[in-house]
Amino acid sequence: MKPTFRAAAGAAVLAVTLAACGGGSSSEGGGGDAGQPEGQITYWLWEAAQLQAYQSCQKAFEAKNPKIKVKIEQYGWDDYWSKLTTGFVSGTAPDVFTDHLAKYPEFANKGQLEPLDKYIERDKVPTNIYQPGLADLWVTEDKKRYGLPKDWDTIAIFYNKKMVKDAGISEQQLQNLTWNPKDGGTYEKVIARLTVDKNGKHGDEAGFDKNNVKVYGLGLESSGGNNAGQGQWSMYAASNGWQATNKNPWGTQYNYDDPKVQETIAWWKGLIDKGYMNKLETTVGVTPDTQMGAGKFALSTNGDWTISAYYGQKGVDIGTAPTPIGPTGKRASMFNGLADSIFVGSKKKEAAWQWVKFLASPECQNLVGEKGVVFPATPEGTDIAAKKFAEKGVDVDAFTIHVKDKTTFLFPITDHAADIGAIMQPAMDAVMSGKAPVSSLTQANSQVNALFGS
Amino acid sequence: MSTLSTSEPTVVAPATPAGHKRRFNRHHFVGRIIILLAILLTLFPLYWMLRTALSNNRALASNASSFLPADFTLGPFKRVLGLGTVEEAQAEGGSGAALNFWLYLKNSLIVSIAITVGQVFFSAMAAYAFARLHWPGRDKVFGLFLTALMVPPIFTMLPNFVLMKDLGLLNTYSAIILPFFFMTPFAVFFLRQFFLGVNREIEEAARIDGAGHFRIFFRIILPMSAAPITTLALLTFITAWNEYFWPLLVGTEENVRVLTVALGVFRTQTPQGAPDWAGLMAAALIAAIPIVILFILLGKRVVNSIGFTGVK
Amino acid sequence: MSTVPDVARPSAGKKSKARPSRRSSFGELGPALVFIAPATLGFAVFFLWPTIRGLYLSFTDYSLFGSPTFTGLDNYRQLVQDEVFWNALKVTVEYVVINIGLQTIIALALANLMYRVTKSAFVRGALMLPYLIANVVVALVWLWMLDFQIGIVNQMLEWVGIDKVAWLGSEEWAIPSIAFINVWRHVGYTALLIFAGLQTIPATIYEAAAVDGSSEWRTFWRITMPLLRPVMVLVLVLTIIGSFQIFDTVAVTTKGGPVNASRVLQYYIYEQAFGRSHFGYGAALSAVLFLILAGVAFAQLKLLRAGESDLA
Repeated sequence: MKPTFRAAAGAAVLAVTLAACGGGSSSEGGGGDAGQPEGQITYWLWEAAQLQAYQSCQKAFEAKNPKIKVKIEQYGWDDYWSKLTTGFVSGTAPDVFTDHLAKYPEFANKGQLEPLDKYIERDKVPTNIYQPGLADLWVTEDKKRYGLPKDWDTIAIFYNKKMVKDAGISEQQLQNLTWNPKDGGTYEKVIARLTVDKNGKHGDEAGFDKNNVKVYGLGLESSGGNNAGQGQWSMYAASNGWQATNKNPWGTQYNYDDPKVQETIAWWKGLIDKGYMNKLETTVGVTPDTQMGAGKFALSTNGDWTISAYYGQKGVDIGTAPTPIGPTGKRASMFNGLADSIFVGSKKKEAAWQWVKFLASPECQNLVGEKGVVFPATPEGTDIAAKKFAEKGVDVDAFTIHVKDKTTFLFPITDHAADIGAIMQPAMDAVMSGKAPVSSLTQANSQVNALFGS
Repeated sequence: MSTLSTSEPTVVAPATPAGHKRRFNRHHFVGRIIILLAILLTLFPLYWMLRTALSNNRALASNASSFLPADFTLGPFKRVLGLGTVEEAQAEGGSGAALNFWLYLKNSLIVSIAITVGQVFFSAMAAYAFARLHWPGRDKVFGLFLTALMVPPIFTMLPNFVLMKDLGLLNTYSAIILPFFFMTPFAVFFLRQFFLGVNREIEEAARIDGAGHFRIFFRIILPMSAAPITTLALLTFITAWNEYFWPLLVGTEENVRVLTVALGVFRTQTPQGAPDWAGLMAAALIAAIPIVILFILLGKRVVNSIGFTGVK
Repeated sequence: MSTVPDVARPSAGKKSKARPSRRSSFGELGPALVFIAPATLGFAVFFLWPTIRGLYLSFTDYSLFGSPTFTGLDNYRQLVQDEVFWNALKVTVEYVVINIGLQTIIALALANLMYRVTKSAFVRGALMLPYLIANVVVALVWLWMLDFQIGIVNQMLEWVGIDKVAWLGSEEWAIPSIAFINVWRHVGYTALLIFAGLQTIPATIYEAAAVDGSSEWRTFWRITMPLLRPVMVLVLVLTIIGSFQIFDTVAVTTKGGPVNASRVLQYYIYEQAFGRSHFGYGAALSAVLFLILAGVAFAQLKLLRAGESDLA
């Protein structure tokens, strides 16, 4: 035991010595003057699937700017924001990072982001080359711009081709679904048709047992409280004429008390009561693409960032259909988009700006489009990406149709996003699990509006 | 006064009259059944991890009720060890990020060993002072140390991070090691309890012979406490090995990245997305191997006689 | 003599044992300071200072960016009226009761069975395995296995004709399921600690009891349990404090839902402090949790009469 103790002590000394000698340097990059476009800058993103796309941009950029090196780091969504926040607080945040519409208002408010206006003006960078509406999302009320658009996403319906065929539903029907909050339109008919109980009875047949469902016509994955129902119910509410806030961006009042949204949610909850959609309590677990792969859902609404997850499921053939046409006579889909922001404490702002400029340029966005994993913000990039998706056997018309027909509506951009989500998530959960009536959303709405003061 | 031995206690079935014997055997039988159930319940999820680790992610959903791997493949293990190509990885639903497995393993070893040795040693010193030395305020200070068990994690995260940054230690082994290097309340508490039980006679004898405190500590107390110290070392190693969030904050550079942080690439990357299940399970199993090896090596000492040494 | 009781000291009862008369109180202060120096450094820098700073922040409005503004008792007033806080407290206590209750009973049973029925190292090793897997991975594995539609647990229930249960999604089962997941991970390790304690009980006592005709059950309650008390105190204090701080499993599985049914204190604190940037309020919540834990630990130590051991 003495020898072991000595051995252990030896190991410790070795380890500590290695620790003292080894290891890297501090995370702040070396060299370069803030004003000169040179040195090493760090760039963060969370979407692992897009890593390669941005690496190709990096190569092209470094070839044009030999004095600047870009270090790309990818962290998963959960860790990304904690690390970023810690970085802000301690001054070690990355020079450039992918920013999100729900988070950037707070960062901008608290002075963590570098306004890009003077750079844009100086270098005469056009801001009108993107899909309409995207660029203005990144301008705050005091008219400062904090990001240039890099991509966009919309919502569509993923469906199980075999189940649809077996149920006798035509492609034509699926691509032109209609909906209204009273009887659900052809959308609900299709959902009912696709629901099958353990005895093989469909949801629209007599003798359908709603307590013993084998396949749900429409899959539920979350009550969508903390993201304004982006992929869950926002498309129905918007096609019903509902607007989440009094103005967007920078609204100061939410409208969850509006009958238009409450009747939408009531209809949506009704699907559960009829047995066409799974209960909220069954949603903690695997993701909806997995449920579809296991044959539990026939339809599932989700965003285009999940395309590879759905299409990747072995054993099921997936197709896409656009969201249904609502009482307004139009479809709707929430339009979200990411941009790249510069940290206000960056020590290499000029170099960072060069990178941001490149990321926002058609050249880089075309390179990203080439990889077929996301829709770049420029129309040309979008087309390239659409072609790439098609080559992989993915029909993205259901997603791009909203851009073509201008049926998109924006993610509600306001202050207090985190607090609002924390109020609405339990409220929506309560409604969808039947614990509270739909009218309880009015009370939640008052709590939300109280955040904005008077 | 009965003394306590280090050897394994003999089987406690005393000689009993025949009637007792039969009842005893029935108890044994039931006991064995319970143990069997406990083993099954413990091992089943671990088997499930193995089964998933040998599966193709894309086939997991359609084979959800099968006890066998879904579309058997060694791909996940290749992903974890950094072998195999990006295309292979993505074809099975993995992320395809490059993994320099052996480098991260080395980093984890360095960090965990340093933390274990430092923490155990310095905590042992402190535990000795709390258990064997008499000085004013001793128990109050011990109580204060214990309150560190209850310190909320959100309090320590940022100040420690800022401290590391101010010391210029970000992305060095030191930053990962330091907060755990000197003590944890658990280690001090644990050892203090066992040091209290160390037989005083030998210590008294040594003191009478004129031995100083350091001599007593190194030559008598530590050797006599080899079992609890080994146990603590093992537990500390396990905790240090599985540490995720702190190394994620301070040690992301490739050259100091530890295994848990590197294997975080298998966790969910996108909002509402799924983890690379197969890769994650393979990663967890592989990451557990060094600890299992350690456990086998030290196991006997740990589980047999975490008792109290003494003079027979 | 001690304010903090001495635990797991088998010979604690022997206050009368021959010992040199009181050494001078200050005599060992010098060496003691040397012995506790490194641990105190670690404690002060990495635990004490962040806690003091955190406590200060609980009296401020602080959003992490920019400087804190002093607001006095505002956060505490808000806390008292915060329904979600009181719910979190209730939910956490519910969790602790189920978790510790289950874990302690099962660990006690297993430890006794390991002591009496089987000496197999395989059993001991197998029971320890779950502890070697990181908390987060354990939670993810169970998240899959407990999935309502395709998880293997519900599949197996269906095979025997029982209805599926929404383990993690329903209000009634969310906290018990999370408690179970943590029991699964920790019970083996707890059992081993108790097992170690069992080995400090001299075999002669059991022999005497058997000769007197005591039944298994009676022996357990009248002899084993009281003699185990010091070890049980160590185990209970540590596991209860740890249990109150549950976070990882909730963050990975239910994220506080459904509605607020699993929004435990630590998760709520993290949400407020980091998710919603109300760090001052989060600090106040943490301070309250800290006080609760200190109170619970103190009460335990007093109630369980941890200062004494019935041996000798």
